[in-house]
Amino acid sequence: MSIFKANSVSVNRAELAIVNDVDLQVERGTISVLLGANGAGKTTLLEGLSGVIRIAGGTIELEGQPLQRARPGARARAGLGYVEQGRTVFRELTTEENLRVGLHDSADISEAYALFPELVQRQDVPAGLLSGGEQQMLVIARALLTRPKVLMIDEMSAGLAPVIVGRLMQTMRKLADEGLAILLVEQFAALALDVGDRAYVMRRGRMVYDGDCKTLLDAPDKLHDFYLGSANTEG
Amino acid sequence: MNSLLTSAVAGLTAAGAYALLGVCAVFTYRLVAVVNFTGAAIGTAGTFVLITLYDAGFPLWPSVFAGIAGGTIAGVLIGFVMTTWFAESAASTKAAVTVALLVGLIAIGLRLTGGQHPHVMPDLFPGSAFRLAGVEVTIASALTIGLAVLFTLLADWFLNLTRTGLHLRALSERPMAAELLGVRVKLLSIFVWAVTGSFTAFALMIIAPQRSPNFMTLSLLVVPALAAALVGLFRSFWIALAGGIVLGVVEGLVSGFDGVSQYRGAIPFLVILGVLLWSQRGARWDDAR
Repeated sequence: MSIFKANSVSVNRAELAIVNDVDLQVERGTISVLLGANGAGKTTLLEGLSGVIRIAGGTIELEGQPLQRARPGARARAGLGYVEQGRTVFRELTTEENLRVGLHDSADISEAYALFPELVQRQDVPAGLLSGGEQQMLVIARALLTRPKVLMIDEMSAGLAPVIVGRLMQTMRKLADEGLAILLVEQFAALALDVGDRAYVMRRGRMVYDGDCKTLLDAPDKLHDFYLGSANTEG
Repeated sequence: MNSLLTSAVAGLTAAGAYALLGVCAVFTYRLVAVVNFTGAAIGTAGTFVLITLYDAGFPLWPSVFAGIAGGTIAGVLIGFVMTTWFAESAASTKAAVTVALLVGLIAIGLRLTGGQHPHVMPDLFPGSAFRLAGVEVTIASALTIGLAVLFTLLADWFLNLTRTGLHLRALSERPMAAELLGVRVKLLSIFVWAVTGSFTAFALMIIAPQRSPNFMTLSLLVVPALAAALVGLFRSFWIALAGGIVLGVVEGLVSGFDGVSQYRGAIPFLVILGVLLWSQRGARWDDAR
């Protein structure tokens, strides 16, 4: 049963159609991986789903509740979490203050420190002074403390050391196993497919693959073809 | 020497108003990232609500509260425009929009209040508060400075020790990131405009009897206000407060010299020029040019 559905979603940027008629579903307790070459429209799709930019068409539902007209804040309060790319920490706030910004009534900051113990030592440090890996942990932990039902993460591994990326991927798997629905946009396709359950591949603003991760993981040539455009649409 | 002191003390009422308006400008810039040229005009709108009601025979203090409510509403309306249509615009665009809104407010204000037609502005706090080195300090002077200090203390306390203050600090850095965490960005932004609207309205009611109470003169008090905010580099409440007080006192001193007193209105511009030349770090002001 899908907790989050996007039906026939189209998103424009500056009057240009970037995402066209895309369907997407995310289920509770799973990781859905959204792949595609640069410029495929992945980030634009996430921004449309989260409300950062308005969608030009289609519907978005979270637990059956329509969200396509809601502001980003209302979507977040409804349970749709979104971690933007670029590690958007509040640089002048400390680590602890960053965590407190979206703290849900039922959440406790200790959960963030249990998930990422590295942050304990840095709790009084302005977030702008954290390393890239620590900042990425912070934005993920910060989003989790809002108690999302669905968490969308854009380019989680960008600019991070492989050991940190592996650690974050395992954390994603753990969170999904605890029941969270995750939609992961990732450049490191193999790593993401390894931890993911369902895969989507976008090309030039359209969804060209919707299936299980294992199929793509076992056939890397197929993924390559999807990226380059020589494979037919599947799903 | 005594006449100099008298002149300086006479500048204290303006000093308090400049300080409060300057601190409000810093508050608005830090929290909603707008170099706000309408600050004084919003307060002026509230002041003219008071004048209109008082002229019509309403009692003074209910008229004062209605005026503060008027300033608050004017602030909310401007805030609504800024947060609805210009929330994601560049700082320079936002500043340009507030300049346009200032021109519009002055035009409407002059039309509604009879242009340069003089109005009787009731003195809210007549009399002397205390004597400083033999010179009378008016209640209005003490009150405006006290109000500026109170606002600065409250702003510091509110931003650093309350959850809403934390949300405001977050949204001032990254409005969209804050909104994606469920922070009610639009509501909080409008709250900032409402607070500054109410405080500036009250400050201008106090200072208006010492000024020519016409809509344009009071609205243009935004110039010394922004000069004070610039002294604090649009970041420090306390330095903006001090800047506003020094500015008012210097204006008062200059008014004591016959040869130059008519140029005292140029002092804020000199301060602005001086700070920009000195600091060469005028990125915030550059955004407004």
